[in-house]
Amino acid sequence: MIKLENLTKQYGKLLAVDSLDLEVPAGQLFGFLGPNGAGKTTTIRMMAGLLKPTAGEIYIDGISVLREPEKAKRICGFIPDRPFVYGKLTGTEFLRFCGGLYGVTASELEPAIAALTRLFHMDDYAGELIESYSHGMKQRLVMAAALIHRPRAIIVDEPMVGLDPRGAKLVKRIFRELCGNGITVFMSIHTLEIAEEMCDRIGIIQQGRLVAVGTMAELKEQIGGADGRLESIFFKLTGDEDMQEVISALRL
Amino acid sequence: MLPYTSLFYPGPAQLVNRLRRGGRRGAARALVIGLMGVAFWAAVFAGFYRVLRYFNGVPVFGSFLAAKLLGMALLTFFSILIFSTVIAAISSFFMSEELQLLVASPYDSDELYFVKLCETVLTSSWMVLLFSLPVFVAYGVVFEQGAAYYALMATGLIPGLLIAAVIGIAIALCLVTTFPAQRLKDVLFLFTLFLVIGLYVLFRTLKPERLVDPEAFFTVIDYLTSLEAPTSAYLPSQWLSDILGVYLFGHDAAHLVFNVLLLWSSAAALVVLLNLLFNRIFFSAWSRAQESRPVRATMSAVFDRLIRLVTRPFSGRMRAVIDKDFRTFFRDTAQWSQLFLLCAIIGIYLYNFSVLPLDKSPIPTRQLRSIFSFLNMGLAGFVISAVAVRFAYPAVSLEGLSFWIIRSSPMGLRGLLWCKFWVSFVFLALLSVILTVCSNYFLRVEPSMMIVSTATVLLMTFGLTSLSIGFGAMYPRFRYDNVAQIPSGYGGLMYMMCSVLFVGAVVVLEALPVHLLVTSALQGRQPDGFDWIRIAASFSLIMALCAAVFVLPMRAGLRRLEEMETL
Repeated sequence: MIKLENLTKQYGKLLAVDSLDLEVPAGQLFGFLGPNGAGKTTTIRMMAGLLKPTAGEIYIDGISVLREPEKAKRICGFIPDRPFVYGKLTGTEFLRFCGGLYGVTASELEPAIAALTRLFHMDDYAGELIESYSHGMKQRLVMAAALIHRPRAIIVDEPMVGLDPRGAKLVKRIFRELCGNGITVFMSIHTLEIAEEMCDRIGIIQQGRLVAVGTMAELKEQIGGADGRLESIFFKLTGDEDMQEVISALRL
Repeated sequence: MLPYTSLFYPGPAQLVNRLRRGGRRGAARALVIGLMGVAFWAAVFAGFYRVLRYFNGVPVFGSFLAAKLLGMALLTFFSILIFSTVIAAISSFFMSEELQLLVASPYDSDELYFVKLCETVLTSSWMVLLFSLPVFVAYGVVFEQGAAYYALMATGLIPGLLIAAVIGIAIALCLVTTFPAQRLKDVLFLFTLFLVIGLYVLFRTLKPERLVDPEAFFTVIDYLTSLEAPTSAYLPSQWLSDILGVYLFGHDAAHLVFNVLLLWSSAAALVVLLNLLFNRIFFSAWSRAQESRPVRATMSAVFDRLIRLVTRPFSGRMRAVIDKDFRTFFRDTAQWSQLFLLCAIIGIYLYNFSVLPLDKSPIPTRQLRSIFSFLNMGLAGFVISAVAVRFAYPAVSLEGLSFWIIRSSPMGLRGLLWCKFWVSFVFLALLSVILTVCSNYFLRVEPSMMIVSTATVLLMTFGLTSLSIGFGAMYPRFRYDNVAQIPSGYGGLMYMMCSVLFVGAVVVLEALPVHLLVTSALQGRQPDGFDWIRIAASFSLIMALCAAVFVLPMRAGLRRLEEMETL
């Protein structure tokens, strides 16, 4: 469903993403991990059509994001890490606007808005202006908006930031159900426990290069780690020397 | 380490980094803005220099008029400064992002006050100070003053600025304790706008042109009464005016030292008093400014239906964007309130044409009406370009940080730009027709002139809309506090320069055909074959120019947006 071929992004002298090759089949929840500045958000923003790659290709369901962006975006939903939305619209109006952008017909739109408002527990505040929403409320709204046109693939950047435990649990359940319905979720995440718990496959990116990819079992087999947990695998791949230094410094 | 280094550090450091990051492009921008600033500065100086030279040549009343003008100018600067400080203080004391960090840290209240005071004084007063300097320099030059005058001016100006800023900050502190900060900004913005509109309308209805027409007044007393300006011994602007008057107009020097000391001691006392007020109420005011409450959307069912009706002719995606733009426009005080300014501009514009004393001119009325109608095309073009910089230029930037929604959607940037173009064009075209048809009606021009000028202004509107949307896309400003900030940068300046050149070029190109048509109409004959060739050539050039201005900026804007990777 999602295919990245030799995907490269260079900012001046900095190589943010270096020849990334990756394939995510339909109905899979793929977790994209890496330390800060590894190239996760750059990759995701290229996939969402927000950044132009220096080289390489991105395919969503066989459609090139670079050559046929409008066609590819029609079957894709994007959830950014920071939910900047129009503060002067109400939640319902925002969902209606997004539905319009993705060409959802009027007869489908209103039932979809009602269903998503209920699903994300937004009934109480959907009629209020977004400017008065908390970060978590905006995050839920953006997630609902990404689903309004029934996408076949969803690209998510840090979905759990700003969500309370109830919201996080809800999102985990929704994403799993979406995958159960054949929708592909490509998700960058920092919380290793959640990635371990939720994802079918995990890819770890370090300095722009994909250093490991596979299921938890495959990663354990390939990399090992002290206790076979994702945390140990992650630190082994990304270097835990820095972490030790930080811990010593904090003790001082 | 200096006592205030820690809190003072971020501001200058950020400024230095911004200048460093600007590179060659940033330097070019700074140069253009600097040159425009110098030009404006020189224009203010030249204007005051001419007026003061004229006053200086008037026996008996000359220095009196100059002193009156100085008092009025100082009072105006002082009032503007207080008002701009209130707005700047709400931002710097309550809304700036770094405050979260500062208030959470073990900050020293006096230190925070001092840093914020300096920041507010600088941000609110630099522009008033910069553009008031040519006024003072013009006084110095006309009244042949030396270094002592300028030294005295600086001695008086610094405490004057400080007093105005302290009063402004105190008002802001008290207001925020009572009202929510975000709403307060809206209210103040609205108030400023109405104040500007009121002053504009008042100034026009006072008919300042009468001042140069001695027949309009019966006596000298009438004339002087018309120049009456409020003065009070308690106004700091008056103290400063009295200080400068000693050198400029040879006023009594007995109170010079007293006035200087009065200014400095008042400034010092107010700074200390404000510190006490700040320590007493800042935290509770700041805490209140953080509170937000649920806001229900205020949009009546009628208005909702109206939006649906307006957006009906458009296709799905375009309709979604236009619907969203309408709703956000009418819910944002900073945006819809500008419509009042627009109404005032149209009103005054048409009023000016209705009171033109055409019959008093030595030129035959018919010819004069055609000349005015011709000039009106240029004037209407300038008004439309000024309105476009307020309403059409910010259209792309208004997407703000939510721009990712459009970019990640199948809408496409081309679709977005055309959507913004057509909405702006319909609005500006309506305005251009109102301005041209109504002013031509007041001028009672020939029908042929009415058609030519309306068609020309509509053509110009096409070009001006494209220029404003195109430049807005080339220089978007997605991070802004207020919509009025969007056109105030380099892009807005470039747009204004290009639009003025465009309108000027159209008017120049149209001069020949209008001249030929009007002359032949006045002579009661049809234009000959050669005339028609020249008319056709001029109109073809105008059409070509408008087509180029219609296509090129939109294309450049689209290219720039597509290349942009910052969001």
